[in-house]
Amino acid sequence: MTFCIPLTPAAESVPVALASLSAGVGLRAVHHNEVLETRPRVGWFEAHSENYFARGGALPRILGRIREHYPLSLHGVGLSIGSTDPLSRTHLADVARLVRDFEPLLVSEHLSWSSVGGRFTNDLLPLPYTEEALRHMVDRVRQVQDFLGRQILIENVSSYLQFTCSTISEWEFLGALAHESGCGLLLDVNNVYVSAMNHGFDAHTYLTHIPRRAIQEMHLAGHSKRRIGDRDVLVDTHDGPVCDAVWELYVAAVNRFGPVPTLIEWDSNIPTLELLAAEAHKADRITEARHARAA
Amino acid sequence: MLALRELQSRFVDALFAGADVSYVDIPDRVEIYRNNLREGFIKALAIGFPGIERLVGTEYFRRLALDFLAAYPSRAGNLDHIGESFAPFLAERFANSGYAYFADVAALEWAHQQALVAADARPITLDALRVVNPADYEHLRFDLHPASALVRSAFPIIRIWRANQPETAVDEQIDLSEGGDNVLVLRAADCIEFHRLPAGDFAALEALATGASLGAALESAQSVDATFDLGTALRRFLALGLFVQLHVPAAST
Repeated sequence: MTFCIPLTPAAESVPVALASLSAGVGLRAVHHNEVLETRPRVGWFEAHSENYFARGGALPRILGRIREHYPLSLHGVGLSIGSTDPLSRTHLADVARLVRDFEPLLVSEHLSWSSVGGRFTNDLLPLPYTEEALRHMVDRVRQVQDFLGRQILIENVSSYLQFTCSTISEWEFLGALAHESGCGLLLDVNNVYVSAMNHGFDAHTYLTHIPRRAIQEMHLAGHSKRRIGDRDVLVDTHDGPVCDAVWELYVAAVNRFGPVPTLIEWDSNIPTLELLAAEAHKADRITEARHARAA
Repeated sequence: MLALRELQSRFVDALFAGADVSYVDIPDRVEIYRNNLREGFIKALAIGFPGIERLVGTEYFRRLALDFLAAYPSRAGNLDHIGESFAPFLAERFANSGYAYFADVAALEWAHQQALVAADARPITLDALRVVNPADYEHLRFDLHPASALVRSAFPIIRIWRANQPETAVDEQIDLSEGGDNVLVLRAADCIEFHRLPAGDFAALEALATGASLGAALESAQSVDATFDLGTALRRFLALGLFVQLHVPAAST
């Protein structure tokens, strides 16, 4: 007796030239087949590295087919780069294998940690912004870049609390990290907004103090509001469209940093590809307007 | 001031067990991270074990998942591994109950998950055997495909699993004593296959999977089925693409 569970229907692959880098969207498994079948008009795709760690089977095959048609970036969510545990060599080796196999345009991770003592929360936990943490992050980013043999980008995360021992602002921390480790920065505009609202700093001050040339990619996403105690807190849920305030901040970011590869992230209540592409085109119109003014 | 490692250890303790968080500015908000940890774990476990979730119901699955999280937290930055100990966990939890089959269904779902992500490998064919000196047959060893697994159960787990997939609309009555399944889980070109094997075939594969020789595998198979025919079974295994490497003993003098 044999029972067969389909993996995925085969899709035809037709080679195309690389599109110019208009805004991209996060690649999610529910869209795999549709991406291959309809080839949506988006600039590029970003894959969460850990989702494609499979050694064989359908996932690497599908990612390879998508890579034939689009530039790709690999975005890590699980390296726990800020942890004081040793870096996982197996995790790094898996990322290195993906880098080799799929030749991504950009490779990124987060200014965060997710594990200690071998216990993983599989979440992006904030670091205390201290001299000690900065030295640690500089060392860890160097280790990762040495292992992969290339530059990586580090992304600012949304945070809901701060450690009272912090002595440095997040923007200073990121600027120093980029300067000392040689990494690039991935500016998540939504995360800047969420953290600014949660901690009461000015998002524009943040943008003004980030070194211009370090920013190599930007993220846009939706967030939601939760009531904790007697105050609202914004939570980085990636479950809806980019809000107006974050679009406004994106305009300011594009004015300051110029047009850099921009990505729409939407990970829960995942919408149609069509809607994702529409969000990406909205970002394109903002970069094009800035370009027109600069010309 | 807390050193970074001390701070991280205390914070993770707070997320798992609710320890003191006086070193954060708004302690109430630790709950957001605690919630992310729990919900992320429950969701990832449910994706890997849809049959168990349906068997026990969503609410009870959440309780099981949280107890499992406390006992077996994630050990990697990649959630693919979290279900590794779920079947043994369920076996212990439901030992000596009417729900002993939960662990076997979980073992089947774990094998399914593993088969999805395992490495590709090129199977050997009958031709590989044709060049072997027949005198050496009993000493041959085979590597099974990385995307394969053997799951033995005293319960009809294939039927139970099938009846409890998310897309299955109607509930089905299954007699738990109707007979067990010996399942070979194997990734084919575009699907994961569950093969219900005869006892002899299964015993032979179990032996080969642990590195036993073909001679030893034949003995295992014949001890459960006197009519077991090795030639037929071997052809069946090769046709499935189950063997990826043949180890021929060094030539005797």
